[in-house]
Amino acid sequence: MLEEARNRWHPIASTSDLPHRHVFHGQLMGREFAVWRADDGFVNVWENRCLHRGVRLSIGINDGRELKCQYHGWRYANRTAGCTYIPAHPADAPARTITNRTFPAVERYGLVWSAEEPIGEVPDIAGLAECDLLVLRAIPVNAPAGRVIERLKAHRFQPSGKLDAADGEISVEAAQEFSIALRSRYGGSETLAVFFVQPVDSNRSVIRGVLDHGVQGAGRIAVLRHHNERLSALRDLAEREAAAAPAPAPIEPVYERVSPELAELPELTTHGRKAALRVTVSKKWPAADGIAGFELRPVKGLLPTFHPGAHIDVHMPNGEIRQYSITNGPGETDRFVIGVKLERDSKGGSKCMHETVREGDVLAISEPRNNFPLRRDAVKTLFVAGGIGITPLLAMAQALKNQNLAYELHYFAQTEAQLAFPDRLEPLGNALKPHLGLSPEQTGAALRELLSSYKRDMHLYICGPGPMLEAARAVAAEQGWPETAVHFEYFKNTNMIDDSSSFQVALARSCVTLKVPAGKTILEAMREAGIDMPSSCEQGACGTCLATVIEGEPDHQDVYLSRSERESGTKIMTCVSRAKSARLVLDI
Amino acid sequence: MITLYDYELSGNCYKLRLMMSFLGIGYKTVPVDFYPGREHKSEWFLKLNPLGQLPVLEDDGLLLRDAQAILVYLASKYDPSNRWYPRDNPALLGEISQWLAFADGITGTASAARLHDGLFYELDIDAARVGAHRLFRILDEHLWFGEQEGRDWICSANHPTIADVACFPYVILSEEGGIPRQDYPAIRRWCDRVKRIKGFIVMSGVFPAGPAKAA
Repeated sequence: MLEEARNRWHPIASTSDLPHRHVFHGQLMGREFAVWRADDGFVNVWENRCLHRGVRLSIGINDGRELKCQYHGWRYANRTAGCTYIPAHPADAPARTITNRTFPAVERYGLVWSAEEPIGEVPDIAGLAECDLLVLRAIPVNAPAGRVIERLKAHRFQPSGKLDAADGEISVEAAQEFSIALRSRYGGSETLAVFFVQPVDSNRSVIRGVLDHGVQGAGRIAVLRHHNERLSALRDLAEREAAAAPAPAPIEPVYERVSPELAELPELTTHGRKAALRVTVSKKWPAADGIAGFELRPVKGLLPTFHPGAHIDVHMPNGEIRQYSITNGPGETDRFVIGVKLERDSKGGSKCMHETVREGDVLAISEPRNNFPLRRDAVKTLFVAGGIGITPLLAMAQALKNQNLAYELHYFAQTEAQLAFPDRLEPLGNALKPHLGLSPEQTGAALRELLSSYKRDMHLYICGPGPMLEAARAVAAEQGWPETAVHFEYFKNTNMIDDSSSFQVALARSCVTLKVPAGKTILEAMREAGIDMPSSCEQGACGTCLATVIEGEPDHQDVYLSRSERESGTKIMTCVSRAKSARLVLDI
Repeated sequence: MITLYDYELSGNCYKLRLMMSFLGIGYKTVPVDFYPGREHKSEWFLKLNPLGQLPVLEDDGLLLRDAQAILVYLASKYDPSNRWYPRDNPALLGEISQWLAFADGITGTASAARLHDGLFYELDIDAARVGAHRLFRILDEHLWFGEQEGRDWICSANHPTIADVACFPYVILSEEGGIPRQDYPAIRRWCDRVKRIKGFIVMSGVFPAGPAKAA
């Protein structure tokens, strides 16, 4: 019986149990749920335990976009239930396997329905229209669902129009294992009541009643009270009976190690630049002068969890691959929004996105990667964006705004019409500081001014064109910002790559030694030897193909590593950088 | 200066700290080692309160015991808005007194269960839990119908009163006595609302709420 019950939809809450910014504590057949409505209206039904220390998420904080655990502050995204931030590891993006188990949720007949593994749709209930219903107060009962159904078969109530009349005539319209429909008639008045019995556990249930017609005015409360009274009396009887019988053992829910959806996520580590996700361009619009906005929705299933600062690879119809930052705010998990600037000297990437890709097209994209993670423990965060460099910083600013943390977004552009995503900038209010039409000298002066106020535990994130980024880094260093507080992301690597050296690379963990001849990259040499490595931009800008150096002297040619990371000699970007020594030992 | 004879883990002492925080008034505390020191039964404390119970409050030479009584005093004296205990509204005062007595019932059941589980008091734990569930059912029903009628608080006012402050602590701490609130969704929503009152403070075992959605 229970196996079948697992496949069946059950109501687990009333729609009115899910006001905004609340977390409802639900349970179905022994399994507890944290149920919460995000500000975008989406109803999340999750396993009621934080993946960290197992604390109930039903006591967590619903901030409208994410659910925060009360214990150590782990944050989980609306819809995907993926972890977006771990306060104890502020500099890192959480592993994407940290994703809570989710269950389906459907709102129908004023109730929220869920199931462990549903088959089919939420059933149509004869006699109940979608609108104009009256949902009764739910009555929890300490008795098994079967016993409650038995009791309901003899349940009596009055038609809504005749509460004070003599007993109405009751007919059983339909009776099933977990629901029963009763009609009460008296003197031309009649009311159909459908009672669903939610099996909370082996010995606990909730009666959720719905009447076929709403009642307006003062009569409404009277009808609700009438049913509350009658059902409470039924509850007391059922509980007395159940107390006299031996209590069945509680149902032990099965806690899966990894959810099927998560197991189906493409592997991150072994496929180089393969793009395993298919998305539809659901919207394309001018996000600013010369910048096209794209809204990408999954062809099927859910998109993976993203973190602010993450980017995706977009595989274009012309075969080019480009990286674009996700501009979404937290909890906006039903789509990815990217902005693409038309480059004057486009080699086919932005031109193709602007001219060829249209709404309705299907694109292949990679899952989000985050090599530009956002700390959320700064006393204040400064963002410096130049032009299209706004995109990752916009996602970050929205995340900090949602948590009410201190930040400023300095946005450098030529004209106001070039400020991208005005609909996302506007809600940032005074935290947005546009700097328009400045010459390089004026830009330098503005940077010196805005970076003059460094205090301990402030952090700076920069993204923009190369020269501006260099200037901002130089000014920050001048003004006393430590390198560890300055985070940056280049669009591209404009260094001239010198690939004339040849050397040996020993892969310590793979027990392989490779020759890297002139004209070939370490990444290519590894791939030819069958050793796969994730990569994305393949020009030393994005940070995906980072490897740890155990021995030897790297010849850095990327723009991803900071100066101290370069000088430490312990990291290398395998797509462009090489070796100054004859031999390099990598931790691969 | 108000002096509160205080024990950090006592829900009844928290009640008063919470009230004084809502009212924005300053006070000092004298810690009383309730457990394991049993200082509330010591000679010096029994002079303050022969019942040997916390909390006790001293203000302007006035010595008061009993959390509910002290709520009445604080709200009457220190609330210029006259909302927490509206002295000129007899019907509301009657309602408030009714729920202050109910809060005593919660102390006698939910708080007792917590003393049993947390501080090893010997008492009939099953009776305490059954009693608390009986009261919670009544409160949940009351609050659910309140929501249906557009009322957010325990009493019939469009603002919280000391009745909400009196009932809140041992409701929110009930799980420490093995009394889950899963079956009381209207109580759980009311707890969120109490936590969003300006000036709300927590104690050990009470978590804050996030901000409400902007209207």
